[in-house]
Amino acid sequence: MLEAHILKALWHFDLDLQLHIGNQIVVLWGPSGCGKTTTLNILAGLLAPEQGRITLHEQVLFSSSSHINIPARHRHIGYLFQDYALFPHKTVMQNVRYGIRSKSSDRSISPQDPKQLLKTFGIRHLVDRYPGQLSGGEKQRVALARALITDPKLLLLDEPFSALDYENKVRLRQELKHIHNEWRIPLVMVTHDQEDASYLGDVIMKLEMGRIVDRVYPETAGPPENIEVAGRNFVLGVEY
Amino acid sequence: MYFQIEDWFPVILSLRVAILVVIMVAALGLPLSRFMARHDFYGKDVLEAFITLPLVLPPSVIGYGLLVLIGKNGVIGKYLDTLGINLIFTWYAIIMAAAVVAFPLFYQTAKAAFNSVDPNYEKAARTLGANELRVFFTITLPLAWPGVTAGLVLAFARALGEFGATLMVAGNIPGQTQTIPVAIYYAVDRGDDVTARTLVLIITLFSFAVIWGVNRWRKNIE
Amino acid sequence: MKRLWILIGLMILALACVGCSSQPTSAPAPTPQAQPVTLTVAAAASLTDVAKELQTVYSTKHPNLTIAYTLAASGTLQQQIEQGAPVDLFISAGKSQMDALEQKGLIVTATRKNVVGNELVLVAGKDSKLNAFDGLKDATVKKIAIGTPESVPAGQYAKDTLTTLGMWDQLQPKLIQAKDVRSVLNYVETGEVDAGLVYRTDAATSDKVKIVAAAPAGSSKPIIYPMAIIASSKHQQEAQQFEDFLTSAEATQLFAKYGFTKPAQ
Repeated sequence: MLEAHILKALWHFDLDLQLHIGNQIVVLWGPSGCGKTTTLNILAGLLAPEQGRITLHEQVLFSSSSHINIPARHRHIGYLFQDYALFPHKTVMQNVRYGIRSKSSDRSISPQDPKQLLKTFGIRHLVDRYPGQLSGGEKQRVALARALITDPKLLLLDEPFSALDYENKVRLRQELKHIHNEWRIPLVMVTHDQEDASYLGDVIMKLEMGRIVDRVYPETAGPPENIEVAGRNFVLGVEY
Repeated sequence: MYFQIEDWFPVILSLRVAILVVIMVAALGLPLSRFMARHDFYGKDVLEAFITLPLVLPPSVIGYGLLVLIGKNGVIGKYLDTLGINLIFTWYAIIMAAAVVAFPLFYQTAKAAFNSVDPNYEKAARTLGANELRVFFTITLPLAWPGVTAGLVLAFARALGEFGATLMVAGNIPGQTQTIPVAIYYAVDRGDDVTARTLVLIITLFSFAVIWGVNRWRKNIE
Repeated sequence: MKRLWILIGLMILALACVGCSSQPTSAPAPTPQAQPVTLTVAAAASLTDVAKELQTVYSTKHPNLTIAYTLAASGTLQQQIEQGAPVDLFISAGKSQMDALEQKGLIVTATRKNVVGNELVLVAGKDSKLNAFDGLKDATVKKIAIGTPESVPAGQYAKDTLTTLGMWDQLQPKLIQAKDVRSVLNYVETGEVDAGLVYRTDAATSDKVKIVAAAPAGSSKPIIYPMAIIASSKHQQEAQQFEDFLTSAEATQLFAKYGFTKPAQ
């Protein structure tokens, strides 16, 4: 259960969000520059809000009143960056294993077996390749594997399909939905693609100028669990 | 005889100095340039201008400045004098002079290299559990390495060839503080073309070998 | 291949670190009897060759004394001494540098003496037809090199001599002012100029030029090299001994070999 209340002054507006997310896929939807990626970075611990509070499964990650700010490396989150940010000087296997070595001393994590994970994602045969030698779809899978290897409690994705052609996009978002069914963790995804949003999202939060102006529950998703809507109650149909 | 050398001392001294200076410059320059590449703060421009100053000042001016600083009446020199230490005319002065002029060369090059590393790589590493030290050594530095080595080569060459400032603070004491450039200058000055020619050949060949060697090595590790 | 580079790298590092703790020096190990003393002598660069021979002769007489010369332009040495560089004896190629130190009270005035003198000579290429100062006025002599009078002592003396001979204004358009004596010699050697004015000792270092004539006596202030013990020296006794040696008959003979003259006092 991810609960976040974030306040941060940005260039042209203030970011002011409240999120309550269970084990579902939440889509942050909106035009570029409205604060979507910033929100992800704040949840990840790469950026600090001015005020607010973030808790994940009862653990406080950030609290401006108590002066708590857990750095990214201790937050147990997985992050899929736009353009994937695969380390170009390391092989696929080295990329995927990177998270394990860092957290080997942290006993609260039970990492996945890298080889098994790669097999699950269908990229076992790529272990010794370098990111420069991979296709867009392959990179995406490697990036996912890398993010999931440390058994994170929250997965953040920034425009994960924007660089892919239509075919790959469709295939990969089906895989992502499948993965989410296996990994029952909150998943926050940023996108500006309507199709991806309505296919994947259990709830779509529309962001505008740093605020959530709308929450949409697409029909294609099942009844969402543990929803608490802060503020207004929306009962809206699917929006295409 | 066209080439001849009776005294190898300048060669050994210059090499020792250049290598030590590169190590010193890297030790201080790596963290500093990395920090400056990623952070902005009040007064940053002033600090950078100060760091870059030795690049634009004539070496003899730098030498004079150092002399005033560490000479017996200087700010630092006065204090050292009470400890019985005098740095003028010692090889420590040579190292200081060479380090001062070589530092900005390394700093600029390394900073540019760090700037060229996509911050997203570092962010990704952080989300994967790496602390800042690990991020630096496993991600930032390896990706910035070509630029950093270029900076080291520049610093080495500059330290090896440093003349004006060295002369001012270390003098020309054959067998103690006479580096290759100083030896060449005074060999020419007294008409000893043979020695001058030989030293020029040595320093040219050596610099060439270092630059070529480093470039080859870089190609190999890519 | 990678191991080879590591090995080379380590060797270079080892080379750098050997003697890291101590200042590298090629000075000979002192004999174990008396306390070894190092005398730091700051001398004008033009004295380099003769200084080496003097050192060899002197150290056979005084085996537990090491002379460390620092050789540079007199102006540079003066600045270094002013800033507290540890010098015991200073031999300058010009009067003004010593005067400056004396004014600041940095030398032991009683020890100031002129150690040697020099002569200004006119040089030209080996094939030159020039045979006297007068020949400089000839139309066949198109360019004459001298040191820049403001910064090079030899240049100032050249200007004085030419002025005394009444030729300065006439020769002005032909004059090339060089940044040091070495450059003047180079220009004459390579034929860039038809003649040059340098010290006799400088002319002696080159076998591609010939001395045409010496500047007439009295045509410029006497060219002298003053020496003095620096007031802050910790080895004033040894410095005095060396000074005495430098004015001895033996040293004077050595100086003469290199073209230096007995100084005017």
